[in-house]
Amino acid sequence: MNATGEPRPVLKSPGHSGRRRDAFVSLCSGLPGGPTAVVAALLVLMPVVLPSRTMATEILIFAMATLACNLLLGYGGLLSFGQAIFFGSGAYLSSLVMMHGGFGLLPALLTAAVAGAILAALVGALAIRRTGIYFVMMTLAFNQTAYFIAYTLSDWTGGDNGLLDVPRPPLTLFGVTLADLSDATAYYVFTAVLFFLIFIAVRKVIASPFGSTLIAVRENEARAGALGYDTRNFKITAFALSGAVTAPAGALYAMLLNFAPLENIQLSMSENIVIMTVIGGTGSLLGSLLGAGSWVIISDILAEIWPRWLILTGGALILIVLYLPGGLWGGVESLMRRFRGGGTPHAPDGIPNNDGSTAQPME
Amino acid sequence: MLYLFQVLNGLGLGMIYFLISAGLTIIFGLLNFVNFAHGAFFMLGGYLCWSLTELTGSFWISLLAGPPVVALLAWAAEVTLIRRIYRLPHTFHILVTVGIALILQETTIMIWGPIGKSIPVPDGLQGIVTLWNFAYPTYRLFLIAFTALIGFALWYLLERTRFGGLVRAGSESTEMVALLGTNIHRLFARTFALGVGLAGLAGILSAPIRGIHPFMGPEVLGVAFVVVVIGGMGSFTGALLGGLLVGLVQSLMSTIWPEGASLMIYGTMAAVILLRPYGLFGRA
Amino acid sequence: MNRRTFLKTGLAATSLMMTPPLLRHSLAAEPVTFYGLKSMSGAYASYGEFAEKGSKLAVDDYGLLLGEKPRYVTIDTEGNPGRTVRKVQEAVQQQNARLFGGCTLSSTALAVGKEINKVGGVFMTPAGADEITASECNKATFRWTVPTYGAIQQTVRPLFESNPKAKRWYSITPQYVFGEALLTASKNLFAELGIEHVGNSYHSTQEQEYSGYLTNAAAANPDVLLILGFGGNGASCLRQAANFGMKSKMTILLAWTQGLDWFQSLGPDLLEGVYLGAQYWHQVDAPVNNALVKRTREVYGINPNYPLAGDYIITKIIFDAVAEAGTTDGAAVIKAMEGMQYDGPTGPEMVRAQDHQVIKDYYLLRGKGKAAMKDRDDLATVVSSGKSFPEGDQILCKMS
Repeated sequence: MNATGEPRPVLKSPGHSGRRRDAFVSLCSGLPGGPTAVVAALLVLMPVVLPSRTMATEILIFAMATLACNLLLGYGGLLSFGQAIFFGSGAYLSSLVMMHGGFGLLPALLTAAVAGAILAALVGALAIRRTGIYFVMMTLAFNQTAYFIAYTLSDWTGGDNGLLDVPRPPLTLFGVTLADLSDATAYYVFTAVLFFLIFIAVRKVIASPFGSTLIAVRENEARAGALGYDTRNFKITAFALSGAVTAPAGALYAMLLNFAPLENIQLSMSENIVIMTVIGGTGSLLGSLLGAGSWVIISDILAEIWPRWLILTGGALILIVLYLPGGLWGGVESLMRRFRGGGTPHAPDGIPNNDGSTAQPME
Repeated sequence: MLYLFQVLNGLGLGMIYFLISAGLTIIFGLLNFVNFAHGAFFMLGGYLCWSLTELTGSFWISLLAGPPVVALLAWAAEVTLIRRIYRLPHTFHILVTVGIALILQETTIMIWGPIGKSIPVPDGLQGIVTLWNFAYPTYRLFLIAFTALIGFALWYLLERTRFGGLVRAGSESTEMVALLGTNIHRLFARTFALGVGLAGLAGILSAPIRGIHPFMGPEVLGVAFVVVVIGGMGSFTGALLGGLLVGLVQSLMSTIWPEGASLMIYGTMAAVILLRPYGLFGRA
Repeated sequence: MNRRTFLKTGLAATSLMMTPPLLRHSLAAEPVTFYGLKSMSGAYASYGEFAEKGSKLAVDDYGLLLGEKPRYVTIDTEGNPGRTVRKVQEAVQQQNARLFGGCTLSSTALAVGKEINKVGGVFMTPAGADEITASECNKATFRWTVPTYGAIQQTVRPLFESNPKAKRWYSITPQYVFGEALLTASKNLFAELGIEHVGNSYHSTQEQEYSGYLTNAAAANPDVLLILGFGGNGASCLRQAANFGMKSKMTILLAWTQGLDWFQSLGPDLLEGVYLGAQYWHQVDAPVNNALVKRTREVYGINPNYPLAGDYIITKIIFDAVAEAGTTDGAAVIKAMEGMQYDGPTGPEMVRAQDHQVIKDYYLLRGKGKAAMKDRDDLATVVSSGKSFPEGDQILCKMS
């Protein structure tokens, strides 16, 4: 593609429609119980292995946000630098309805999800009118706007000081209190169950005709359009779904901390979510958990050892793009494939190009 | 009267923004490469300026020697790394250059420490020029003149020299240039070094006004992208007019609605993207 | 996955969680342990580096506490409020941590204070937000920093009194809670002193370019330019004001500055003749300060600055309170701290029981020129100092 946005033929590699899906399916079939069982096992193992349950909860919260980002980036080919809009507003909105509206836990999360979906659909509807770098810049501009609004409405958001005294209400259903979540373990279990349900739901979405069409749109938008699909609607729906998952993640984060800092809605939060998605591996849902987990754990450990640890993050980003385009999960995948000795090893897919083709890393 | 002066000030500011964005748009134009490390190289320019000024006692030496050093670093990065990812989609460009920016930022902290630094306005340019009731710093006037000069030199380089011809041809069709027997790798590396060198130059020239600190990269990157997107990615004239427009908006806003200055800049960008998909001067 | 496997997984999960964790830290050790919240990485690293030095010095120089050398643990805030709160929760849950100090960012300090209050710990901070000892005050949280009210009283008032002819003041304010607090305090004092407030420009905290605001200010033709931004905002604003030749045309006052490290980054050329408000100044002649300066030079080869001195005294006060209480129990330590009078880096200081605010001096400094400097850090001279705090009804803290 040159400055005019036209494809640059010599650099364009042929698309590989659906190949990632095949790889994913073949891999899943190789695991006992498939990825759902793997996730379940991880959810059980995490609080045992990790230094703390609060950390495990944080990982799951970011894994949710990463999952939602992955839905856009990995499956829809849409690199959104605006995920913090949904994360942040989810945190603020759920906190405000709990603090001023007397909402309980589940209604607050539901409010976040609905508001997140609406917001994301709006942002998506405007941003997807452009592609490539212009699309990215649109999401970025929206993120700056959202940050500005949160910053200005300090009576509601606490502005720079953040929103304090966010409650963590007990889990109630139809007026019956099911569990008190003030304990770290209880809150972890609640978050884990929620994550598990969302994971299954997102998997279902991806396996559905919607999911395969989304991938088709990513692989070749023109072709999908010619086949009669309203590609615009598919992208907006993907955004709405992404917002509906990201916003509750923000809400859970606010409840975890009893606090909703302005940083939740800052551009750097969007950047972090994208980095986690890429490190874990785009286009694989397990990769999202892996990405969020490794980001939180590694930054935690490194921050204690070496304050300049961000250098390593920078290096990791470069190395992953160069050598591991499938992210950490892609690495795990190819290792397992080699271990099992079956299947033909092939390079993992890249992120789809702005003009609809799928690029391959240069050998 | 105040508005008139804000317009003048905005134009001056716009020239600085043009300088910040020129390199970004040149790189995008030929290489179709999205450089999120542009702000980090800008910062590096500022720090080199500080070190060279401390070392030699002269701002002018750092102005001469700084940009080539940044360009050399960029060239090295191009040859070892950037070259390998041109053909990947923009998403990957962003990720790799975000990585480079992080590395540069943290390395800067390791070398120069986390605290910001000041660079004095060079001797002879420290005064002010008084227009009616308003004072305007001599250094800023110098900056405007110098940037205009640089802008003209760039225009000449891109429009009137063989190198420029190749760059422009390359941005239309890489293959054609390759067929003409030009070493396309070398052309790309040079263009990348030129664009990033301009970021370094901008960093040096802004240092006496803005000071330097390790976290200035992302701020600068934001402005540069807004300017380039408004002007049209890859368009040199667009960067100039985009820069002037952003400078004007920001300067006038600081009288009309200061709180919304930054919002307006991003708002302008979103509006331009929606109304003119390829910017004011981009070719659709 | 069907319902049965889901239930099985749930059961397995519960049983696994009962087992002791593999990587979990062991429970609190015997010695008194102080947890320093320091921004070692991230955007506030310049602050954390010095704060860490201060706390370490206080710990190292402290003798025996409850029979043993006290221990020090650093928690890197990464300049990230969410991360910090989570790390504090962890320290509380797993290491039974109760004594905390530090925090650069106001938002982090506010949230951390609430978290520590919930578990009955103690937390002392040098953060800026007035809410810490006002609307959001709580039992656990103490603050060393003079609030915005005092900063304005101790800078605007003496500057005006020394030059009562300077009646026209223009302010440039970062638009957020903290900037707003400084501006309100200034406006109240302007009204009291009969100062004419000829205008104010707001700017965002991310602002880099002040030429537009300075043009507004110059057009108002003030006698004094009051810059209320601090850190990077204040630095850029002052630098550009100097570029615009405003130093020679009017008096410039920065009511809230970070002190020495910030002065060093600006240099004497810019600071000469500029009035600067500060929480701490290393040249102040006070017994504890003289000792601190000596030790800091010995150990680190530098002069102490505000973050270093602040976190030094915070650490020391908490240890003193533990010694007095004879226990690390939160309630007892808090009781020992309330009303405590001690010699601090600014001279005699006192912890006010009512709102947990430390009553201490605030300084009005004046930048020195290069020629007048006796050493590298002799960047300013103390013009005046004193204590001003909200009293009586003005104390907004309702301690629960």
